[in-house]
Amino acid sequence: MKALDEEIKLLKSEITTMFLLIQAQMEKVNAAMINDDKALAQEVISTEKRVNAQELTIDRYCENMLAIFQPVAIDLRYVLAVLKINNNLERAGDILEGIARFVLDAEKPFDNKLLENTGIHKMFEALLVMIDQIETAFTNDDTKLARSMFIKDDILDKVNSSAVKTVAEYIKEHPENIEEALYIISTIRKLERIGDQITNIAEEIIFSVEAKVLKHSKYKKGN
Amino acid sequence: MTAAEKYNRKKKRNEIIIFHSFRLFSMIVLAVLFLILFFIFIRGYKTISWEFLTTIPDEGMTKGGIYPAIIGTLYLVAGSIVFAFPLGVFSGIYINEYAKDSWFKRFVGLMTNNLSGIPSIVFGLFGMSLFVNTMKFGDSIIAGSLTLGILTLPVIIKTTEEALKSIDNTFRLGSYALGATKLQTIKRVVLPMAFPNIITGLILSVGRVSGETAPILFTVAAYFLPKLPKGIFDQVMALPYHLYVISTSGTNISESRPIAYGTALVLIAIVLVVNIFANGLRMYFRKKVKMN
Amino acid sequence: MYKIETQNINLYYGDFHALKDINLKLEENTVTALIGPSGCGKSTYLRMLNRMNDLIDNVRLEGKVLIDGEDIYRKNMDVVELRKKVGMVFQKPNPFPKSIFENIAYGLRVNGITDRKFIVEEVENSLKKAALWDEVKDKLKKSAFELSGGQQQRLCIARALAIKPTVVLMDEPASALDPISTAKIEELIYELKKQFTIVIVTHNMQQAARVSDFTAFFYLGNLIEFGDTKQMFLNPSKEETQNYITGRFG
Repeated sequence: MKALDEEIKLLKSEITTMFLLIQAQMEKVNAAMINDDKALAQEVISTEKRVNAQELTIDRYCENMLAIFQPVAIDLRYVLAVLKINNNLERAGDILEGIARFVLDAEKPFDNKLLENTGIHKMFEALLVMIDQIETAFTNDDTKLARSMFIKDDILDKVNSSAVKTVAEYIKEHPENIEEALYIISTIRKLERIGDQITNIAEEIIFSVEAKVLKHSKYKKGN
Repeated sequence: MTAAEKYNRKKKRNEIIIFHSFRLFSMIVLAVLFLILFFIFIRGYKTISWEFLTTIPDEGMTKGGIYPAIIGTLYLVAGSIVFAFPLGVFSGIYINEYAKDSWFKRFVGLMTNNLSGIPSIVFGLFGMSLFVNTMKFGDSIIAGSLTLGILTLPVIIKTTEEALKSIDNTFRLGSYALGATKLQTIKRVVLPMAFPNIITGLILSVGRVSGETAPILFTVAAYFLPKLPKGIFDQVMALPYHLYVISTSGTNISESRPIAYGTALVLIAIVLVVNIFANGLRMYFRKKVKMN
Repeated sequence: MYKIETQNINLYYGDFHALKDINLKLEENTVTALIGPSGCGKSTYLRMLNRMNDLIDNVRLEGKVLIDGEDIYRKNMDVVELRKKVGMVFQKPNPFPKSIFENIAYGLRVNGITDRKFIVEEVENSLKKAALWDEVKDKLKKSAFELSGGQQQRLCIARALAIKPTVVLMDEPASALDPISTAKIEELIYELKKQFTIVIVTHNMQQAARVSDFTAFFYLGNLIEFGDTKQMFLNPSKEETQNYITGRFG
């Protein structure tokens, strides 16, 4: 096996580690929110350091590969894609840490009914599926699976757009829980942004495999 | 001692043995050369004098000089070179630069080699038959020069060929790529570069030709000529023949012996001088090749 | 009109089919790199463009080679004229064993130019074009062999430029040179393409990518892919091309 192929294998395993880290973080945040588990939330916050360290490792790997191997064509696209996916995952991790902080700082547990009504449960469910599938898509160079992210992201967008209305009504009925409600809105926004990160990752996978650039393109869903 | 160590020891010992043996062989070769020179020199130097070199033989070759033989040899050498050098160089150029690889070319090469293997006395016979008799030149400088020329032709052809072959083809390609024809390339690039080595062929020829006795035996050499030749159809004396004659036949072999050695010394000296001169010529051309 | 156009080229060395149905169109004032593993036909293709293949026995060519619209293999084509139009630089620098001046003047002289003043001017111009003038202007009478490898190669380029070709063929011009000389040659190529059409054979992938506008990938005598260099190095359309440029074969 060529030295380059060895390096690509190593890089792949490192970024897969990153994927799995984020997936785990997501599961923990979801559980922490539902069960008001402050210990779990703290775990998420501590693990964030590990996520950041992994991002730096992967960045360095990519830099070395570019400097030493000067890859071209498919190898080049792969390294560039991994560089960006790395960023996307790190940002997702940041966002998850933010949500964990909410859970940590909240004085009382979140109203489960509210979580249900606003669709946060739905969002988490969707995201957990998405993060799992996008990792599979990356590992298997499955651009069809990657493309399916765009549609799933719609769910998140829908929840996001109707969130304000739902929460506003809740505040009218439970003005004493206004802080909690604001946290909810914030969380919804955050979850929607995680969805964006995942669709960005999907674009990078498609670029890497097909050399098609879907960034900022209107035609994602049709493709 | 392990097997490996034993082997290493043996290896080193062999190295030393071989090195010293080869050195010894080279020394032997040098020794032989110096021995010959020394031998001739010791026995001949007494005979050498200005008179010796400039007067004609006297009293049945027991006294006097070898002037006519010297002149004769020079004429013959010059004559053979005038004939063989241009012909040989042009042939070499044709063979190496123009002729396409084919069975014919290989055949020509084979024949050239064969030519150089023919015994010189056979050349003499051939020369006599063709030039002296058939073409009716008689015993003459021209017959002798042509015969010697043919003798030395393969040498010149071969060295010219080798000299041209040794010129890296990229020089020719570079020239063609600039729009030069084959002739221009040969004239301006290849030949100037090959010239030093072509001169080597010349040196070898001169050395060979001045000492050849058999070819001139039947075609030009005379036992004694009081006067120098006036034209190319005249006979001439020659050093190698002279040496042979006064050592084996003639009237007073033992008394002529010192003259024989003197002749040998002069012959060697001429070859040496020509070699040195030609080498100088070669070095001059070599410099010119780099600079011009 | 394309500067160089080769149509349905099939070239044989005896029985060996060296170039198989090559169709290529090269535009004026561009640099085209020919890449491919050893023995793929790229050097053969290059030599075809200035008929240097004629010097090899047993070469047979089918198809048309058009330069400026004219078939260069037609019956009454003057090969000497062709080589004035299409110059060549070789892999190993091959200056003649003459002075720097005479090396450049050689091309002019063999083409009949005798005007001393003209020759002096042209030598200077060519050396300037090859970015060598400043380094040698005080030692034009010195032997070309006293120059370094990189300088010798630039001398050969200047020598080729002196006869004012419109196309310059380069057969791995930098492969025998150190990195700094290589960089100088690449810079030179970049400048020269404003005035000349350049076709360069190279084994060095990065060099092909850096230096050329278009790249042609040859394999076993076939033209596998031809296209814009940037496109080819980011996303080649043929798998064989990708395998070659990523170093996975050959």
